[in-house]
Formats: sequence, C-alpha cells, structure tokens
Amino acid sequence: MKSVTNALSVLLVGLFTSSACLVASAETITADQIVQRANHVAFYQGQDGRAETRMKIIDGSGREQLRQFTILRKNVTDGGDQQFFVFFQRPSDVKRTAFLVKKHIDRDDDRWLYLPSLDLVKRISAGDKRTSFVGSDFYYEDVSGRSLKADKHTLTETTESHYIIDNYPVDPDGVEFKHYKVWVNKATYLPEKTEYFDDQENLYRSIEALDQQEIDGYITVTKMKVTDHRTGGYTLSEIRFIKYNIGIDDDVFSERSLRTPPQEWLKRPTNKT
Amino acid sequence: MKDQIVHFATGHPKKIMWLTLVLTLIAGAMIPRIHIDTDPENMLPPDQRDRVIRDRIKEQFNLYDLIVVGIVNDQTDTGIFNHQSLANLKSLSDQIEAIEGVIDHELMSLASVDNITQESPGTIRFQWMIPDNRDEQLPPAELEQATNRLPMFKNTLVSEDGKAAAIYVPIEKKELSHEIAQKIQSIIDQLPPGDEYHITGLPVAEDTFGIEMFIQMAISAPMAAVAIFLLMWIFFRSFALITAPMLVAMATVIITMGALIGMGYTVHIMSSMIPIFLMPIAVVDSVHILSEFAELHKPGDRVKDTIEKVIQNLFRPMLFTSITSAVGFASLAFTPIPPVQIFGLFVAFGIVLAFLFTIVFVPAYIAMLSEDRIQLLAKKHHTDSAVALDGFLNRFRRVAIGNAKVTVTIALVLSVFSYVGIKKIEINDNPVRWFKEDHRIRVADRVLNSHFAGTYDAYLVFRKDTSAMQQQILSELHQAAAESEVAKSILSASLNGRTDFNKQISRLIQSADDAAFEAESPSDVVALENLIATAEQAQTELKYFMQPEALSYMEALQQHLLEGTLVGKSNSIVDLVKTVYRELQGGDKTFYRIPDNSNQTAQTILSYQSSHRPYDLWHFVTPDYQNAALWLQLKSGDNKDMSIVVEQVEQYISGHPLPAGLSVQWGGLTYINVVWQEAMVKGMLNSLFGAFVMVFVVMVLLFRSLLYGVLAMIPLSLTIALIYGLIGWISKDYDMPVAVLSSLTLGLSVDFAIHFLDRARAIHEDTGSWTTTMNLMFGEPGIAILRNAIVIAIGFLPLLAAPLVPYNTVGIFLASIMATSCVVTLLLLPAIMSLIQGILFPEKTRSAK
Repeated sequence: MKSVTNALSVLLVGLFTSSACLVASAETITADQIVQRANHVAFYQGQDGRAETRMKIIDGSGREQLRQFTILRKNVTDGGDQQFFVFFQRPSDVKRTAFLVKKHIDRDDDRWLYLPSLDLVKRISAGDKRTSFVGSDFYYEDVSGRSLKADKHTLTETTESHYIIDNYPVDPDGVEFKHYKVWVNKATYLPEKTEYFDDQENLYRSIEALDQQEIDGYITVTKMKVTDHRTGGYTLSEIRFIKYNIGIDDDVFSERSLRTPPQEWLKRPTNKT
Repeated sequence: MKDQIVHFATGHPKKIMWLTLVLTLIAGAMIPRIHIDTDPENMLPPDQRDRVIRDRIKEQFNLYDLIVVGIVNDQTDTGIFNHQSLANLKSLSDQIEAIEGVIDHELMSLASVDNITQESPGTIRFQWMIPDNRDEQLPPAELEQATNRLPMFKNTLVSEDGKAAAIYVPIEKKELSHEIAQKIQSIIDQLPPGDEYHITGLPVAEDTFGIEMFIQMAISAPMAAVAIFLLMWIFFRSFALITAPMLVAMATVIITMGALIGMGYTVHIMSSMIPIFLMPIAVVDSVHILSEFAELHKPGDRVKDTIEKVIQNLFRPMLFTSITSAVGFASLAFTPIPPVQIFGLFVAFGIVLAFLFTIVFVPAYIAMLSEDRIQLLAKKHHTDSAVALDGFLNRFRRVAIGNAKVTVTIALVLSVFSYVGIKKIEINDNPVRWFKEDHRIRVADRVLNSHFAGTYDAYLVFRKDTSAMQQQILSELHQAAAESEVAKSILSASLNGRTDFNKQISRLIQSADDAAFEAESPSDVVALENLIATAEQAQTELKYFMQPEALSYMEALQQHLLEGTLVGKSNSIVDLVKTVYRELQGGDKTFYRIPDNSNQTAQTILSYQSSHRPYDLWHFVTPDYQNAALWLQLKSGDNKDMSIVVEQVEQYISGHPLPAGLSVQWGGLTYINVVWQEAMVKGMLNSLFGAFVMVFVVMVLLFRSLLYGVLAMIPLSLTIALIYGLIGWISKDYDMPVAVLSSLTLGLSVDFAIHFLDRARAIHEDTGSWTTTMNLMFGEPGIAILRNAIVIAIGFLPLLAAPLVPYNTVGIFLASIMATSCVVTLLLLPAIMSLIQGILFPEKTRSAK
C-alpha cells in the first residue's frame, strides 16, 4: 500500500469510499489485501476531487508558519496513475506558486514547480521523494504516495478496531526509516496512524488522522497531524471544502495550467448554488 | 588575650590536636561531593546581559554546542576526495548520528546535507550529497565540483584545498561532550587507515580541561607539598618539627575546600587552585615561628616558655600579614565574576584559618615534642644552613645600607622600566590556549584552522523592531474595515494585544477569509477582501529579512568582514538565498545574487524548503523573518581578535548606518569570552586598587604611623610593578590567571615588609641603635624571610610540569613574586630606612635608651 504515508494524501485529497462495508471476512484477509484496500481508501476514492488545505507548521519552540493551498486530483486508472495539481493561496508572497504531479505506478513520477514571481517552471527531478513538502513536516511522498511494492508488509496484530501492519523497505538505502507501522481501521480501511522508526528503533515521526467525516459518501480525513519527534515540531493540516466527482478536465493537469491557473476548478464551491 | 590562647594551647596540646583532627575530618567528608565546572560561560553570572542574549540567540536560531571532527588526507593529490576517505567520512558521520546525546538531524557533514543540482536544463534536483545507495553516489571528482558550487558548504564542511572535511556534531548537553568525544574516537579507531582525524570544539576543550584539572588537583598540589616539605627539612633538619607547618597547611586546605564544596559551590578552574594558593600562605607563618623558636631556644629553657616568647614576638607581624593577605584576596569579591569571587573569599577564609592554626596548633604541637628532639634541632639550626644564609644576607645588608642612594636610584629606574612594560600589556585569553602547544586539542585546533575558514564561531544577530510598522498597519486595517460592521467585528476579534503581532495578522486573514465566504452582503465581501489584502500586504512587509534592503545590507557587511584577515567566512540567509536563486535560474554564476523583490525571495526560500533539511533555514532567520543571524567563522579564538572584529563591525555600521528599526547584537562563545574578560580586567583593576587602599589603611592603623604605612607599601608596589612590567616586556598575554595573581602578589609581598618593619622597630626599641638593629635584622628575621621566599618559590616549581598552562603560569608567578618581593624587601627597605633613619627613629626612642 502506499502505506500510511499516503495518509497524507488522504488528508490532502480526502477521497474515501465507503466501500469498507464490502470487506472480506477479517479472518482470511492478508496484509497485502489490507494494504491494497487502505491505499485505495486513502488515495483513490471517487474519480476526482478537490480540497483546500490549511497547514500550520509549528516548530519545536512553538513558532508558527501558515500555508494555504488547493489540491485538485484526478485518477487516470483506478488504483493506478494519478494526477495532482497544488495551487498556493497563502502566504501572499508565494501566492500562485503551483505544483503539478503526475504519479506513475510503473516508473518515476513527473513533478513540476511554478514560481510566479520568477516566472519559472522548473521540473523537479525524480530523485528522492522523502524531502520536505514546502517546509512542512509532510514529505512529498506523503502527498503523492509511496509505491506498495517499495515495502514488505506484515500483519503483526489485529486489535478490536485496527489492523496493525508493519512495513519494511525493500531497498533500505533509499529511505531514512528502518520500518514503519500503520494502524488501519478495520471498518473503514482508513489508515489512521503511522509511526516511523529509525535504525535504533526510536520513534521519530508519526502521522495521525485527528478527524474524519463522510463527504459525498466517502469517509474523508479532515484533520491530520504529522509530528517530527526529533525536532519537537509538527504540522497540522485542516482539509476543507472537499468535493468528489466534479468532472475535472484532463488539461487542468498540464504545464500550461501552472502559468494560467484553472480558476474554474480552484474556485471554492459555494453552498449557495 | 593572645598570651592566654597560646598558654591554653601549650597547656592542652592533646585537645588541640583532636579538635583539629575532627574539624578536618568533618570538612574532608564533604570533598567527595565535588562538582567540577569548567564552562567559561560561568565566568559570568547567569543573569548577565550578554549571557542572557546568547541564550536567547541559541534558542531563537536552534543553535547547539558543537563538537568538531576533522578528517584530513594529505597523502593523495585529491585530498579527501577519494573513494576510501569519502566512505570513511560517510561511515563516521552516520555512526556519530546514532550516538546517544547527539542531535542527529542537526549533524552537519557532507554525508548529511543536500546537494542542489541542475540535473538537465530546466530540472532542479535536491539529493543527498552522499546517498546511502552506492550506485547513486557521485564520483569523488564530481562531488568536489558539487561542493565547490555551494558556498554554504565550501570551507565549512570541506576545506578550500580539498584536503579536509569536517563533521559538526551538535550535542544535547555540554557535560556529555567528553563521553561523546570518546565514543567518536572509538568509531574512528575502527575505520580503515589512511586518513588523519581530529576532534575539537569548545565543549570538548572545556570537558577535557575539567578532567585534567581534576588530575592536577590530585598531582600538583601534593607535589608542591612534598617539595615544600623537603626544603623545610633542608633548613630545619627535623622531620618532627617541620611536620607542624605541613599539618597546618593540610588542615587549612582540607577545611577550606570542604567548606567550599559543602556549601554547594562548584569547583571552577580558579577554585581548583585554592590548595596551591593556600599552601604557601599557611606554611609561611609557621616558618617564622620555627625559625624564631630555633633561634631563641637554648638548652635548659622550658619549651613552653620559649614558644610563648616566640608567639609574643611574632604575633603582631603574623596577624598583620594574615589580615593584609586576607584583605587582598577578599577584595576579589568586588569583581563581577562569580568563580573569582568564590575563589577570593575562600582563600581569605583559608588565610584566617591558617593564622588561627599557626598560633594555636603549632605551639601545642611543639609543646608535645620531647625536650631531646628540640635540643637537637636547636643545635643543628645554629650550625647548618643558617650560617650559609647569614653570609649571603650580610652581602644584602652591605649593598642596601652601604649604597643606599644607588639602591634607591636603581629602584626608581626599575619603576620606569616597569611602567613602560605595563603600557605594553596585551589583554587576551583563549580557553583553547589553556592547553599546551602539543596537547591533542591544540593540535586539532591548529590543523583544522589551517584547513578551514575557522572553527571559532561568533554570531551577529540583526533584529528588526517592527513597533512603528505595527502602528501604521493597525491604522490601515481599521481604515480598510471601516465600511463594514462584519469586517470591523472580525478585526477587533482578531486583534489581541497579548499574542504575537504576526500571529494576530495571520488569524485575522483566516477569519476574514472564512467570513468573506459566508458573507451575504456584497459590501461586506468587498470590505473583507479589502481587509485581507491589507493584512496580506502587511504580512509581507513584516517579513523584513526577505526585503532586498535588509539582505543587501547584510551582504555588504559580510563582504566587508571578509576583506579583513580575522573572519575566515560568514554564513547567512543571504548566501542561502543567492545559492538557491542561482540554481533556480539555471545555475549560471551571474544569477548568484539577491532576488529583485521579497516575493522572489519568498519563492526561492519555498523551493529550498523542499529539501531534506528545511529546518537549517532557521539557523539563519527566525520564522517571522524579523531576526537574522550572521554566523562568523573565526580562525582565532583569541579574545583580542574577537574584539577587533567587534570593532570592525562597529566602524562599518557608523560608516553605513543600519536601516531604520534595525539593531545588532553579538552572541557566540567566542564573544562571551570577550565579555567576561573585559569584566574581569576591569574588576581586577578595581579590586587591586581597592585592596591596595585597604592594605595601606590597615598598615597605617597597625603601625600607628603614616610613614610606616607608606614604607610597608613600597616593596609590594615595586613588586607588582616589576612583575606586570615584565609581563608587558615579554609580551605574555594578560589572561585570567595573570589577573588573579595580582591579588596574590599584593597579599604575599606585603608580608615580608611587615615582618621586616615590625621586627626592625621592635629591635630598635630594644637596642636604640640603627646599626645594631640592622645587624640583628639581617640575622634571624632576615633568614626567616629568605627561607620563606625559597620554600615557596621552589616549592611551586612542580606546577611547571602540569599540562595546563594556567597552572604553569601560577608556578612561575609564585616563584617570581617571592624572589622579587624578598629581594626588594631586603634591599630597598633598609636602603630607604637608612636614608631616613632620623625621621623613622626620632630622638624620643633614642633618648629612651
């Protein structure tokens, strides 16, 4: 599964199906099946969707930075390739900064960054995706997802409410963690908590879903927290104005949109209409 | 009363012995609770202004105490850039991160930072400089090119010549540094050979110093005790007798240190030297007693009678010398440096204690000795060393009195010589220099500073006062909201004087944004959008260190400092922004510049924040962008060099005024050292002056004569002048030990003068003849002075063997002080006295005969 990390995407994109009720019998389900399903719940609900995120980045001394952006997402194939468009509103000095991500299952993702004041479109090299997302405690990989094939998954424990999956990387050189554990809700298949451990088995990073709502029929995380236990800092994400299956055009996810933002889709859906 | 005390002592010697033993044992029991403190920062009180600022800077910019590990390869042409050295660096860096107490994510080395590269035109890449995966690692030559492109790392993580790399290891607590350094060493020991490693950094130096200081307390002080013991044996040839002063010294030292530790004070570098200071002082009086006793005791005399007579003769001078020495040291309480205050007060306490022991314990001890042993001593005394010293002393007498005018003239010439020397004194200190040249910490310091831009750090922090801006912003916000009740209520709800202004603005924008979405009336929407726009504009303006004006000022100052020789390199947000901006623009060096406006800077920084270590940014600027730190790497940790840099900055600022609302403050350990040093020098001068006046007053009171008071001050004045003049002439830095020794000089050199004057006056009263007085003075009293000088001077030479420079300094000083003040007392005092004998011993005394 895209592991819990992807829970971020959950938060950001907030697409969930309520397909949890179709779950196979718990006794027979394997770790891979759980991970598969959780990945779907976290990243692939609906054909497409939009959400607005307010990120509060709090450092170890309690000092705060704010980021506000809108995310548009569209599945290319269900459970496969996806496209993301991230558009910054605040702070105003980075307004109209935009990211375009084309996520691929069989090869490296394509990523672009647009910096409006420099009028620059930069391609961001595939390289390492476990770098900070705009200075927050989220990683890029938390946003666009980690390949299910990158880790070996084991179901280590089943509690009353959760499956606990332990994940060890296939290539330990490529990541900073030794392994990570994911708590998947048995009813909803929502990955609700992820904990990352370093080589000394110290917990150094965790991601939690603090709040969830059913939106357009999908269970959706609306509040999420990533904590960096080394720095004592954390990032709080509030996801609002979520809407699924709105029929976003494919050409929204093009380089041209970086310079000319697709206002129609970025606009906040009003209750009034 | 003194007679009663002595009488009691000689009458109840056993009680006195027991009392001393019990007191010593009680105090000694405290000593295992010792807590060593070698932090130079503690030279300042915790609430001292600069120290508070430094702590705030550390917190504001997430700065930690650093251990610096250097890897040097001189063997290959490519230096550190070969597969094996890089593998060693990577392995070492990774393993250090796993050590308990190391703040792993803040560790800085080539293996833990990002490379920013142009992967292909239009593509930017953040990648670990040395990734774990070997296939992804750059070949050494390309890695060298990559680091050369990144000014933040060049000369900091890798030396300019490519021969050395550095690992900066941030640690949680300074107290852990020795332990961590040892663990690092054991990792190094496991690495394949070929590279040279050095471990340094102020925390390691301090911790190592503490440990060696402890060893020195256990070695140097006892060695000095042994040396003194042997010398006294040469003079008195009676182990039984000279055991008395040794016991006095030991009891004094143990009780004083026990009291200090028992009262909860930490043992600082200064207080670790208390035993060494107290020992000579404690022994001196006893030597006078033993000398006098051996002189006076004749076969057939009762020991008790003799000893009571001895105390009778010596009580006054001993009391005077103890008071003046104690005053000299107690005056250190007026310095603003807590460890020096503690040192001064406890030495003063020890001196008083030693005096009490001398007049109580020594007589009791002698009273317990058998008559036979004492007779033996008296006989020996009259035949042995005294004869040799007698001859020597008589030469002094002939020179001093026979050539009185020449002697005084020479003294005046020496005063001028000293004055010139004192003018040349250079005030300077550097804790790393407390180690000797060949100590591994000094070696590491030298090697790393020769390769890198400097391992000593100082921080210049820029602070923007936004209060004027805030007023302006508030009035603009109220104006923007004026037309709408909704906007007005949002505004007043968001503004709350108690929280940080930046946070208030941020809250305002969020609430106004939400309200605008909910608002029904178009006029409210307009007002709210207006309010948001105004607040966002304000937000941008408040981020001062994104403005080109602020960045340009810092850039120019950095450039200016680099032109001098002392600052090897400086790092700031400017360097970071310029580098990332260049890479965003395709990597051409013409783009290595400050962006045109604050939005460009903000977007450049946002790009940087998409790296593995976005938090490195906060070492240079606070998240509100209203404080920025300039990290200076200095090649020298000498306080005088730091002072010059401070002055350079001041001059630059006076020539290029800071933009409005901007102010600067200094921080960093190298700077803190300057602060306490300045406080110390000023404090020492004041305390020396104060002590001088107090000793003079005490002298006048004790001698009941202004003239004698002035006379008593002459030898010590000349001694201090000569010693410090010499320091100036041989260009030895005026550092902490030298400063503290001024009070020792004062206390010890007045001793001889007191003994000389008091005895001379007493003898003259008895004999009425100047010539006889002088003949007698150069007998026993002169011998006692000379013996004391020799015992202390030679007794402390073992300090020269210590591996710590402050101990050497103290050893040399004690020897020079003793020698100088002894010679000055025995030559200059009689010379002056012979010139003014008519005034000193007027008719009244003569006719009384």
